[in-house]
Amino acid sequence: MTERQSHIRNFSIIAHIDHGKSTLADRILEHTQAVAKRDVTEQMLDNMDLEKERGITIKARAVKLNYTAPDGQAYVLNLIDTPGHVDFNYEVSRSLNACEGALLIVDATQGIEAQTLGNAYLAVDANLEIVPVINKIDLPSADVDKVRGEIEDVIGIPAEDCPAVSAKMGLNIDRVLDKIVSDIPAPKGDEDAPLKCLIFDSYYDSYLGVVVYVRVMDGTVRSGDRIRLMAGGAEFDVVDVGTMEAFGLSKCAELRAGEVGYITASIKNVADTRVGDTITHADRPAAEPLPGFKNVVPMVYAGIYPADGARYGDLRDALEKLQLNDAALAFEPETSIALGFGFRCGFLGLLHMEIIEERLEREFNLDLITTAPSVIYEVKRRGGEVERIDNPSNYPSADEIEMAAEPIVKASIITPTDYVGGLMELCQDRRGTFIDMKYLDAERVELHYELPLNEIIYDFFDALKSRSKGYASLDYEFAEYRQSKLVKLDFLLNGEQVDALSFIVHEEKAYGRARRIAEKLKENIPRQLFEVPIQAAIGAKVIARETVKALRKDVLAKCYGGDITRKKKLLEKQKEGKKKMRQLGSVQVTPEAFMAVLKLDDQ
Amino acid sequence: MKRSETKPLGLYVHIPFCASKCAYCDFYSFASRDEDLQKHYVSALQLQMEDWASVCRGYAVDSVFIGGGTPTVLPPKLLHRVIDAVWRNFSLTDDVEITLEANPATVDLRGLRKLHRAGVTRLSMGLQSAHDRELSALGRTHTWAEFEQSFSDARDAGFDNINIDLMYGIPHQTEASFLKSLNVASLLGPEHLSVYGLKIEEGTPFHVSQDTLPLPDEDTEYSMYMQCVEYLASRGFEQYEISNFARPGFRCRHNLKYWSGGEYLGLGAAAHSDFDGERFAALRDVAVYIDGMELVGQGDTIWSERRAIPEDERMSEFVMLAMRLRDGVSRAEFTARFDADLDSYCGERLKAYIPDGFVTFDGDRYAFTTKGMYVSNYILSSALPFDYAEAEI
Repeated sequence: MTERQSHIRNFSIIAHIDHGKSTLADRILEHTQAVAKRDVTEQMLDNMDLEKERGITIKARAVKLNYTAPDGQAYVLNLIDTPGHVDFNYEVSRSLNACEGALLIVDATQGIEAQTLGNAYLAVDANLEIVPVINKIDLPSADVDKVRGEIEDVIGIPAEDCPAVSAKMGLNIDRVLDKIVSDIPAPKGDEDAPLKCLIFDSYYDSYLGVVVYVRVMDGTVRSGDRIRLMAGGAEFDVVDVGTMEAFGLSKCAELRAGEVGYITASIKNVADTRVGDTITHADRPAAEPLPGFKNVVPMVYAGIYPADGARYGDLRDALEKLQLNDAALAFEPETSIALGFGFRCGFLGLLHMEIIEERLEREFNLDLITTAPSVIYEVKRRGGEVERIDNPSNYPSADEIEMAAEPIVKASIITPTDYVGGLMELCQDRRGTFIDMKYLDAERVELHYELPLNEIIYDFFDALKSRSKGYASLDYEFAEYRQSKLVKLDFLLNGEQVDALSFIVHEEKAYGRARRIAEKLKENIPRQLFEVPIQAAIGAKVIARETVKALRKDVLAKCYGGDITRKKKLLEKQKEGKKKMRQLGSVQVTPEAFMAVLKLDDQ
Repeated sequence: MKRSETKPLGLYVHIPFCASKCAYCDFYSFASRDEDLQKHYVSALQLQMEDWASVCRGYAVDSVFIGGGTPTVLPPKLLHRVIDAVWRNFSLTDDVEITLEANPATVDLRGLRKLHRAGVTRLSMGLQSAHDRELSALGRTHTWAEFEQSFSDARDAGFDNINIDLMYGIPHQTEASFLKSLNVASLLGPEHLSVYGLKIEEGTPFHVSQDTLPLPDEDTEYSMYMQCVEYLASRGFEQYEISNFARPGFRCRHNLKYWSGGEYLGLGAAAHSDFDGERFAALRDVAVYIDGMELVGQGDTIWSERRAIPEDERMSEFVMLAMRLRDGVSRAEFTARFDADLDSYCGERLKAYIPDGFVTFDGDRYAFTTKGMYVSNYILSSALPFDYAEAEI
């Protein structure tokens, strides 16, 4: 370890959602005077509006802090924030790999939650020194001692002298900084060895091209160097290197082993700079890349269509722009008989999907129709190859299928004991396989289940919350593809099949789902001049049916006293309403109908 | 000025006073016996007529409609001042139709005789239902017996053109009770019947209590309407508009103006006009109206809306209103008026409703069938452009 390295600390903050990660990050920024107090707007690291509203970090961020310890020694603290949601587990793991330690925030009123554990395990996997921090001690219901006990018993790390803070009130933040310096190891790495930089984030800037955030593990990188992305294979000439200061990028001469910073190299596409990839020198490459790189693949797919078909081009442009900063977003053109031209988009998970949808609507002012999300099924046709099917309308009919498999996840649910029964019932109902149950303490339990992902992407999370009065927490990771008896459920309106409504369901669940979706569709189909039968079918067999009664009365009986304006306005308004409708064959449907499968109430 | 050079005009005079306000009514009217206010209001009406008299020189008034409210709650002296002012300020045709709305128990034989002599040619009487229980649920203050008396008084006073207003879809009503109302009303022998479906309007007591009102269901209401059309046809009443039925020769000239795009001038608070290319309406406020008329230079403060209607908007209006009529909208008339083709404007889209029996087309006229009339908003909002810039002409 060099003298320089001994004064660097690279750390992340990990926590369950809402345990105060971003607030603590802000306080640390304040304390290290990276930002004047008055400039801390609120949760500086979360740049996007959406993140602020939802209180979660979507993308990793990093910032370099200068800290002078009480003994007068000057330190560089590199804080690497991590996304706080299960959809972004891989990104979290890469950010952690860029660090030597992690602050594990635990809410003093809530204790350990599913993502606390999930994140702690990721940190353990990355060989990080974990520094527990108990937050929200200002709240009346805070129970610091109990949470200390939990941390020791459940995670198995000493917590006796861990800082108990209130990030909100700015209480005991100096204790946290002391701990970072004293407990987290300084980085190692040979400045003269062949270059190895771990990419933990990147984003597209219209002036600089892609800005790549890296942790230099070995070697030294300077502007003008010819670099190679080891997984992608592409080579670039470094334009600048520098560090991420609280208010923006700051150029420097070089980045050396142990340091965290950015590289720009006129890179046009974030897809070239995948998180987890290793940057090395083209002329003196490292023998092998850093371990753990994965090409992240979307887990959830949905069709996204412009409500106004004329805006197809705008939607494409918007998706392309978002993809510049989000290599995990996949899309390709798709045509639906019902919805016209749109895109089949792949997401890491439901949250990722919601974020993309919201950004498309807010930042690009698009009205969208989104079909129900689907996972990717592996289907082997008789005498054929295994196909990966991400669109239910491409799912073959039962007699063509030799074998079908669906993705299974390992789920961990932490809940107060009171709700265990209801949650086990829920998991059972969602085709879960019980693995085990651990008591975290007298009041809380951790449940392990294997669950089909397609049971989770509908309304599982809402059901989980409603059955536990909001107390249960969920974490999951992909396990494997497993053979399953799946059928394609089709919906017919007025006798015509609507491709965008088809979806895949387990054979045993088909009847119940079909019935409930038919009911939901009924609510989303306004009455027309004729009766509209809604049928759910597997192949040619109808398994559920509802009827939207014909519209009988829609008339202004009295048009009197010469007030024409009022009647005209009424019809104009009605016309406006109709423009929002989608015409499916002879039937008009509200745009919400396509999400009807998502909004099934927990029963 | 020669007769051939004059244009026809309808006059509407609004009297916003009532004996009491009905629970379903959202017209601009209120219960008032404040004679001082009424006097001021009538004076204001006279002033407004004097103002318009010169503008309307080029027009021959062939229809006057005095409505409300209940015009007959005015003291006879005031009501006659209104009627006299009409005669004095406008040029009326020889065959002018002057309709007066009258509620039972607000008129007696003597009063009716005087009104007849003053030139009123047509009475429109609000019955709504022949069942006292239904009447009281509506907030009507008269009984069936009182109506019968008033109707016979009207006949005795010399009125040979009388309309009766009825309603269906009202609280406590059944198919049988509605048909009974229709039956007894038609047996009185009126020349005209208006039969309206109850529509619960915001701001009315019915709107507040609608969840608890014992209303007939939608299917029953539909059946009431269909039976009404059929029954009245059998009694010699032609359905000439969605809610209006008349013996041959007795269609209401005034309302026809609204539906066929004729010009009309509304006088009084809340009255609507379509005059010289502009639509305008007075505020629903008697005080503003009286001040506007009485104070010098305040005449233009009374309008709630006033604007010229562009031609493409007129087209939508024209079709929308004409389609209220049994005879529907004529391609030839549309072309004559707008120099545009009705088929490309909306006819092709209307044709889509022919196979299912909602619309008919005879080569010139598109019209609704009875069941088509009952869903006319749905069809018109689909078939008409309304988005005026987009109209394909």
